Amino acid sequence: MIVAERKPFDEILEMLAPYKRVLVLACGGCVTVCLTGGEKQADELASQLRLAARQKGMDLTVESDSITRQCDREFIEDLKTDPGQYDAVLSMACGVGVGFMSELYPETPFLPALNTTFYGANTAPGAWAEYCRGCGDCVLAWTGGICPVARCSKSLINGTCGGTNDGKCEVDSEMDCAWLLIYKRLKELGRLDEYRKIRPPRDHRTDRGRGVRRLVHEEMVELEEEESKA
Amino acid sequence: MRDGDLTSRDVATLPSTCELMEREWAPCRHACPVHADVRGYIEAIAQGRWRDATDLIRDNLPFAVVCGRICHHPCEANCRRRDVDEALAIRELKRFVVELQGAEGATVHKAASQDKARVAVVGAGPAGMSAALDLAKMGYRPTVFEKFPVAGGIPATAVPKYRLPREALQIDIDWICAHGVELATGLEIGKDKTIDDLLAEGFEAVVVAAGLAKSRLLPMPGADHQRVYPALEFLTDVSFDHPVDLGQDVLVVGGGNVAVDAARSAVRLGAGRVRMMCLETPEEMPAYEWEQQEAQEEGIEFIHRRGPIEILLRQGQIVGVKARAVTRVFDENERFDPQYDDSDVIELACDTVIMAIGQAADMGFVEGSSLKQDDRGRLVYDAATQQASLPGVFACGEIVTPPGSAVEACASGQRAAVAVDLFLRGQEIRIDDSLPPEIDCIAEGTAEKVINVSREPVEAVPPQTRLKTFGPIDKTLAQEAALRESRRCMNCGAGAEVLVDKCAACLTCLRVCPFDIPKVTDVARIDSSLCQACGMCIAECPAGAIIARGWDARGLPARIGAALASAASDGHAKIVAFICGHHASAADWRGEREPVAGVAEVYLPSVARLSVSDLLAAFEKGADRVLVVACHEGADRYPQATRRISRRVDQARQLLAEVGLDPDCLRMLELADENREAVHPALVAAAGTLPAG
Amino acid sequence: MTLPVSRFQEALEAGEFVVTGEIGPPKGTNLEPVIHEAETYLKGRVVAVNVTDIQTAVMRTGSMVGSKLLLDRGIEPVFQMVCRDRNRLALQSDLLSAHILGIRNVLALTGDHVAMGDHPQAKPVYDLDSVTLLQAIAGLEAGTDMGADMKGNPNELDGVPTFFKGCCVTPCTEVVEPQIIKLEKKVEAGAQFVQTQAVYDPATFETFMKSIDHVKVPVLVGIVVLKSAGMAKYMNRGVPGVQVPEGIIQRMADAPKEDRKKVSAEIAGELVREMKPMCQGAHLMTLGWDDVVPDILANAGLKN
Repeated sequence: MIVAERKPFDEILEMLAPYKRVLVLACGGCVTVCLTGGEKQADELASQLRLAARQKGMDLTVESDSITRQCDREFIEDLKTDPGQYDAVLSMACGVGVGFMSELYPETPFLPALNTTFYGANTAPGAWAEYCRGCGDCVLAWTGGICPVARCSKSLINGTCGGTNDGKCEVDSEMDCAWLLIYKRLKELGRLDEYRKIRPPRDHRTDRGRGVRRLVHEEMVELEEEESKA
Repeated sequence: MRDGDLTSRDVATLPSTCELMEREWAPCRHACPVHADVRGYIEAIAQGRWRDATDLIRDNLPFAVVCGRICHHPCEANCRRRDVDEALAIRELKRFVVELQGAEGATVHKAASQDKARVAVVGAGPAGMSAALDLAKMGYRPTVFEKFPVAGGIPATAVPKYRLPREALQIDIDWICAHGVELATGLEIGKDKTIDDLLAEGFEAVVVAAGLAKSRLLPMPGADHQRVYPALEFLTDVSFDHPVDLGQDVLVVGGGNVAVDAARSAVRLGAGRVRMMCLETPEEMPAYEWEQQEAQEEGIEFIHRRGPIEILLRQGQIVGVKARAVTRVFDENERFDPQYDDSDVIELACDTVIMAIGQAADMGFVEGSSLKQDDRGRLVYDAATQQASLPGVFACGEIVTPPGSAVEACASGQRAAVAVDLFLRGQEIRIDDSLPPEIDCIAEGTAEKVINVSREPVEAVPPQTRLKTFGPIDKTLAQEAALRESRRCMNCGAGAEVLVDKCAACLTCLRVCPFDIPKVTDVARIDSSLCQACGMCIAECPAGAIIARGWDARGLPARIGAALASAASDGHAKIVAFICGHHASAADWRGEREPVAGVAEVYLPSVARLSVSDLLAAFEKGADRVLVVACHEGADRYPQATRRISRRVDQARQLLAEVGLDPDCLRMLELADENREAVHPALVAAAGTLPAG
Repeated sequence: MTLPVSRFQEALEAGEFVVTGEIGPPKGTNLEPVIHEAETYLKGRVVAVNVTDIQTAVMRTGSMVGSKLLLDRGIEPVFQMVCRDRNRLALQSDLLSAHILGIRNVLALTGDHVAMGDHPQAKPVYDLDSVTLLQAIAGLEAGTDMGADMKGNPNELDGVPTFFKGCCVTPCTEVVEPQIIKLEKKVEAGAQFVQTQAVYDPATFETFMKSIDHVKVPVLVGIVVLKSAGMAKYMNRGVPGVQVPEGIIQRMADAPKEDRKKVSAEIAGELVREMKPMCQGAHLMTLGWDDVVPDILANAGLKN
């Protein structure tokens, strides 16, 4: 799921400087699961903003609300508040939500309360780590399920470089060398032959090579209005 | 989404989440014949809210003081805590609080106007008085006719004073009458007036609640001797302090509660030896276990498996009873059908016999009326509508139900009131007797994780002391004991409920639950038969998807605001102290203690339910500093509570720092389990040393 | 049989034990001192001199211009190319440019991550890695590049380069099999020589060389000239795959400051001498102390 972190408080406060009436909008999707942008976190941030406003003598009214997800149009019907009635909305969604909701409310600035960071898994209670880069060309079939794009600092595809230090990447001592993990896993699975193959350079067209990526499932595209038949 | 799942839309339409507790009942409430909100009043007691507790009890139970003394407590028998350690001492808690409040301390819900029909009630026992009370509350004008000079029925006439002091009973009678119930004592229906007279006089309905006021007698040689006493008449004489000619060697025939009452009364009247003889084995004996035990402590011997056949007289005095052996009491279908062995006959010496072999109805009230009786002399009666054969005449209580307890009589009377009301409004009498389902027993795996606390003992008066008087045989729980006991309640059915539309299945609730209760599949679901209502998941759910059935989880800010407003400050810094009240006194909870200047004390059943938002809200409401006073690790009502709140305090401190406030404005102390002597100075110190806001 | 395209290649193919040196361009335009050093101490003594490419991600003048200036001074360069900074278009383009300038020896490297250097905010490219860079070089040599024309047919080069291409390997890692497999891939992709990361333990090197016996390309053992005991310890801690034994560290520690170069040259020379029978050459990484090269060669018992 998408993982995000709350922006530094001062940065958020600065973003809100031009506005007087702000809605903090939580998202019930990924950001709730990583405990960053759910209704509870929105309430806490709204509280902090009100306290800060009082502290600094800012003319700022802050309310909060939540929505099932900010990446599907239909959920806005369930909103108790009307974002259009605020000077700005401080969205607790990931970057997708902020951008998408901006389109749905073109007259209202949607500001990001979070920095969207990575696609991650919950490795332990309270901890998430990056597992995928969304490169669009998944190679996990022949790397034993360990992603070299996300988890190798250099996103190499042909094996370890010379920078493995005690099994860790020399760039981040907290991080296992992904290719060493891949090598061990493939060895365990008896598939070292996959490691031996020369992989051609990646096709970056699936990965930001061409701007906005899209997905369309034709079977779900809205039915066209039928012209009345004779 | 499964059946029974709740969404935020479902909850939005409710005036309060407490309505959710009506969807399934804790077994205590379910088993209670009047379905009192046991959990509710126990929680009120735990928080020192004596009046709330009393009012909650009396909402369902008019004879609160009586039951606090003599109820057979089916609630306790079904209390789910018995699978953890021991059942709650519910009756003792009820006794504690209703006697503390008396009649003046209980709210009277008099109808705005009492101008509807007049209704006559025959018999001022629990059934009749309960029917009268409910009719008065509905705006009717009930008059209760009672042949004895006092109201109360069996509790007034036959329950021994050592079990039920008469002053205690009077509290209930006074409270009931305060609702506009007219009492006409010393008037016997069937003799002084007939039921037909009542109907002619302008009573539009009559409720017969005559009870089982007579003892059954067994005809046998010698049975008409003057020292052969029917038990109820004996007990009535004792109740009214009429002298009783009792010998020194009393034999009570019977194995039920009335028999035990008679035997224990005989002991107190000074009989040298008192024995009880019954058909049943010890296991079959119908008297309550605790009655049997107390009787034996008082020196009463039980003789089992014997039935009397002759009362032996010599020179006009009773010298003994001839009794045959009983081979069995109940047949294969558990019906009463005693069989005897006439070849096995013994003689038991005695000089007085009290016959307590069963109660019978005094059908005198039928005299002069056209009420029909069946071939066994019982009132012709429809249990569903509670109507007798005459239009407008209803019946309730033991006169028509199987013999039962005071609380069961109350329930029958309340139902009769509903029937009468429907009748008088010209509607069909159709009463829905269905109940919400009962919450299941607690699973072993969860029961093991609940912190064990022993049940508070009741201090009994030692047998040798108590058998000399008709004074109370035990003491009411002391206030501290009552608080401790009430805080053992597991709050069944008041715990967490997931709003499945908001749940993101993030697993947080499962991770923070100290009892590992939530099951997370597509969404989280919390089993109400396991939830301990600690509130931790509610405080930590990132989606705000969990609510509490038993309290308003978002209601704390309003309470904080009110507390701050009423805390005197005069220039002092304003401090909000969230205090775990699990070990606190009633005075602490009620605010009846020396306040600390500027400190608004907010008591909670546990700090487990305090969220980061609540802490920030305190600052928003105007607190300069906030203190969280938790119990020491391990002393809280719930496991891990102190550690969890400690983390939340750290989190909140960070959020305060981000805003530019001094994080030291929020501090936590672990000493709520110490008494006020420790807490008070800690509050004073904190008020003095915390940095200025 | 194709003719060798460089003196380096020729010497290796003739079975000579070759020695290569290394220079690092400066952070700035003042390239002359480094070229002068090479002229003074390396010319005529080593067969070729590597020019590093933005080494350890610290921004410097590029290896192409360094290689060209060496050529102008009659020194054969080994043009180091890392994949960190340029995508496949730029790399292929630079290879063509290098060839035009007369550069023939190329060392294809992945390159240290930007995080190690002085521009950690920079975007790491790694469009190719050492394996696919070698393939790209081989492709250019075969007359085509990595793209295709409008119809999807392979492009044809107008003027085809030739190179002598090499790669590196780290013999002294804890888990060595992945290095070996990667080396096999590099050779399969076209690597014609190997220069190793620094080796200080001949026993380890011997084991390593036996394990790559099946890899039929010449190997030059890498020696990093120690400047101090502190440097040795730092490398042990921070540089993956480099293990300086205690004994050597002690020798450096015991050496008085003025003798350090001498002792360093002794150590380097001994190592070369000992490992000479195991491999086909030595690659001396002097880190600016090019003046010790003559002594190293002398200590190693090598001519010139």
